[in-house]
Amino acid sequence: MADEFVKGLGIFTGGGLAWMVLAGWYRTPSFESSQQLVAPISIGDSATMFDSLGVLLMDALFWFTVIGALTFWVGIPLIRQAREAIEERAQ
Amino acid sequence: MTDETTSDTETDDARTDGSGIVAPDDETPTWHERKKRAQGLSRLTYEYFERARREDQDLRQESDYVERDVLAFPTWPHEVIRNLAIASFFVGMLLFLSATLPPHIGDPANPSSTPAIILPDWYLYWSFGLLKLGPLNPELSILGGQKLMADRTYGVLANLVVVGIVAIVPFLNKGSARRPVEQPFWAAVGVGGVIFAFTISVYSAKNLLPMNVDLAFDLAFLLPIVGGFITWAVLKTMREGYMYDLNRRYYRLRPPK
Repeated sequence: MADEFVKGLGIFTGGGLAWMVLAGWYRTPSFESSQQLVAPISIGDSATMFDSLGVLLMDALFWFTVIGALTFWVGIPLIRQAREAIEERAQ
Repeated sequence: MTDETTSDTETDDARTDGSGIVAPDDETPTWHERKKRAQGLSRLTYEYFERARREDQDLRQESDYVERDVLAFPTWPHEVIRNLAIASFFVGMLLFLSATLPPHIGDPANPSSTPAIILPDWYLYWSFGLLKLGPLNPELSILGGQKLMADRTYGVLANLVVVGIVAIVPFLNKGSARRPVEQPFWAAVGVGGVIFAFTISVYSAKNLLPMNVDLAFDLAFLLPIVGGFITWAVLKTMREGYMYDLNRRYYRLRPPK
């Protein structure tokens, strides 16, 4: 149980940190604006292939953070509980 | 584990670490106790403390010390390695963030223009919120519906009362508890206080709150009570698995000769 928790926590913090850095690059017009990390994506005309890769990675990391943590904190325990309940009922 | 075991260290053949295959009679859990520890949070707590006890026992068995010399873990390597790991983590995080997200230096503040929002530093928000307790200032019918004192005087008085209560708490509770589980009530009081500090801080910026101000005012006083009650209930449940002696042993002072 504790192992699953720390896996989820690792995904949540690690993925969240990487997403935060990328969102700080591509979705933060200024650190004094009221729209930080969530502003519309702004890539200049001089954007390289790495910039578009970064934007792609940012979205991927966001959903990895959300879904990964939910998987280990909610999904897997739910499946285990359900399996236990089914086995108990079968006996 | 118990004082019995500790006094056994005086004799030569007794084990100094509390190990032994058969538990003494007063340590053997009854069937009632076994049942209480069988599931849920109490089982988790029990397993945690049992594991901590076991690690402690192993450490004592490997060690050259006899128990009366061991008042705590030695600084090297236990404390130093842990502190180095924590310090390395935070230094690395500082370097990483300053390298990847360097904030620009903004314009200097303009001293001739007053900002629209005036707030103290964040750690004084709670005090600022206490200045806004006007709705609690009673209108006394004996004075013909007048208030005894102005709202701002009332706010200053509220600050004095809260600071006074915080200053009194150490004199009210002089217990030797080391962890919240040992005194659920006082832990609940502490958690309630922390939540109140937070809610009253939020209320201090009530003109910026995107919610009903009256509701925020009520929640500022209700949430601490709710949080304190939940804390109390959780800690009461955890007491079932908690071993009081385990904790006390580390902090015991060397007895006088």
